[in-house]
Amino acid sequence: MEVMLTVNGLEKSFKNKQALKGITFEVRKGEIIAILGPNGAGKSTTIRNIMGIMYPDKGSITFHNHEGKEIPRHKIGYLPEERGLYKNVKVMDILLYLADLKDYPLDKAKERILMYLKKFDLEGKDKVSIDELSKGMGQKVQFIGSILHEPELLILDEPFSGLDPVSQELFKDEIRNLADNGTAILLSSHQMNLVEEMCDRLFMIQNGQKVIYGTLDEVKTKYANFKCTIRGKNNLELLESIPHVQRVEQKDESAVLFLEQDVEPTSWLKALPSNVVVHELKMNRISLHEIFIDIATNKNLIQEAGELDA
Amino acid sequence: MRNSMKVAKWEIKRNMKNKSFVIGLFLTPILILGFGFLGSLFGSDDESSETTVFVNDQLDVFAMLTEAVDQYELDWDLHQTDLSEGDIAAELENNEDTAYIFLTSEALENGVIPVYTTDEIESGFSSQVQLLTGPLQQLRISQLDLTDEELAIISSNVVFEETSAEDYVAEQSGAEESISLDSPLEKLVPGLFAGIILFAIVVTGMMIFQSASQEKKDKIAEIILSSVTPGELMNGKIIGYFVLGLIQVVVLLIFVVPFAATKIDEPIIEYLFVPETLLLVFIAILGYLLFAAIFVGIGATMADMTTSGNFQGLVMMLPFLSFVLMAPVLSNPSGIVAKVASYVPFTSPGVLIMRLTALDEWPWVEIIIAIVVLVISILLFMKLAGKIFKVGILMYGKNATPGEIWKWIRS
Repeated sequence: MEVMLTVNGLEKSFKNKQALKGITFEVRKGEIIAILGPNGAGKSTTIRNIMGIMYPDKGSITFHNHEGKEIPRHKIGYLPEERGLYKNVKVMDILLYLADLKDYPLDKAKERILMYLKKFDLEGKDKVSIDELSKGMGQKVQFIGSILHEPELLILDEPFSGLDPVSQELFKDEIRNLADNGTAILLSSHQMNLVEEMCDRLFMIQNGQKVIYGTLDEVKTKYANFKCTIRGKNNLELLESIPHVQRVEQKDESAVLFLEQDVEPTSWLKALPSNVVVHELKMNRISLHEIFIDIATNKNLIQEAGELDA
Repeated sequence: MRNSMKVAKWEIKRNMKNKSFVIGLFLTPILILGFGFLGSLFGSDDESSETTVFVNDQLDVFAMLTEAVDQYELDWDLHQTDLSEGDIAAELENNEDTAYIFLTSEALENGVIPVYTTDEIESGFSSQVQLLTGPLQQLRISQLDLTDEELAIISSNVVFEETSAEDYVAEQSGAEESISLDSPLEKLVPGLFAGIILFAIVVTGMMIFQSASQEKKDKIAEIILSSVTPGELMNGKIIGYFVLGLIQVVVLLIFVVPFAATKIDEPIIEYLFVPETLLLVFIAILGYLLFAAIFVGIGATMADMTTSGNFQGLVMMLPFLSFVLMAPVLSNPSGIVAKVASYVPFTSPGVLIMRLTALDEWPWVEIIIAIVVLVISILLFMKLAGKIFKVGILMYGKNATPGEIWKWIRS
């Protein structure tokens, strides 16, 4: 896949605090890559450096497909974390202004604005003033503003925050759609379930450092061990005596068995003792959400796994 | 530059569609006209009434009095009367704005002429009637049988005539006479015009300040900056509000000039189209650029108009410094205050315009130095504002302290 953007060894300090400590990743055409991390990890700082809103102390940002040193602003769409639009301005006017700033032909922009307003359930709102819109509607308008000029690279900082589930679905579909049509998409988010559903690759940072980087499957294979949820009344010692079980969390009549890293699910199941009571059995990997929380709270399943391995 | 023009166009369009801006645009000239009109209303009130004056003329000088009244353009209705002092009590009771003057030989000899007025009398009457003492004094002197020479000496007053050193030298060297002005307005109109331009665009320029801090508050700055550089955004704002200021000036002139032209009996338009106007307007525009740069920079450091700190408030007052200096500068346009203020960038546009309006001969060397200083400070402040703007516009949630601003400038 064609690489659109390479970020290499990015470093940035504020006052005495180093916000970014050598961030390296790349964004490819037609894929969705997610930057994940708890608040203050450095996601927005990374994005602002890419957008040229801040300048890195060290490291390089390369836009392929583009000659010269300048940031190809016209080819990038950007939805910042801080949401806002001019207050007493009509929806159509502000979207046309944003398109004009990107040198996008206005007649074409107008067509696309109407098309997208319809798509996002805002039909007929083009003549409405921004301050009459709800927060979610404003966010939709802003999203339209960032994709209006058919960018080659789309950068979305927390696109889902503050949206209701229906709108989240709409955004998700549209983002997926854009990626399928060849747009390179870099997004940051807290909503792991959404990221899990739509991302091709992810990049997780903590304290300005890379923690995880890879495709979703790779990450899951590497970091997310299997867990087995069993419904049925069982003795704790019995469950703990099953081979390859790291720890057991028991609650009422169900128990979650966290397995060691290299367990083969099928052979493990075959080796289950016959006296285990099973009303229901579920086998799946630890979700991204759980990994994320572990990292954020420094409880760190990953490290635990590593230590056990050693 | 193209992006700056887009930003400028947007700022103009946005404001022209904003109701409060449009209302303000037309309210300013209407207010100015309104006050002018009110003033003339009060003025005309005074002139309307005419005083009826009866003269009991026993000296046979009525013709002379009539002449004097005409000469001084007194609004009097002059009549002769035969009523004696004893008879007028009833007349005075029943009339308004009426006066009786008794010119008797006895009164002339005493030098005290009795005048009886009604209770209601024109406020200026008592001073008006004093104007008649001149001709009557002449009459008294002529009765003394003096020679013409003695008469001339007595009737002329002693006066002091002042000549300052500068005029003295000019007279000595026989240099050209100072330009005699047919009308003070001829000199005043270009200066007034430039002053209005400066004032209007500086006031509109203050909106830059609001626009920059509003942009922060609305958090749109980051989106705009993903399309244009901070410098382009800043320049676009400065250009945009400059045009808005000019629109305000044009609206003002459309309302005020025809009104003034009909009210004032002078060829105002002719006075306006002189080369001096060009220089004055140029100075006004320089003044705008300076203040616009300062405002846009400071605006970017503020999270909210309502929470502006002392520092920001002080900076806002800078354009009004020249108003403070108005009295000393106008009373002595070549004085030390005026000269120093011409070289201080914050006051120089306003003070230069005032001085050039007041002075007959322009001190070209001073003007050129002042303009050079002004242009250099504009370039400097634009650069500083650019640095402050770049960092400030993206700093959310709090006002920048002077210390922080200083750090941004140095970086």
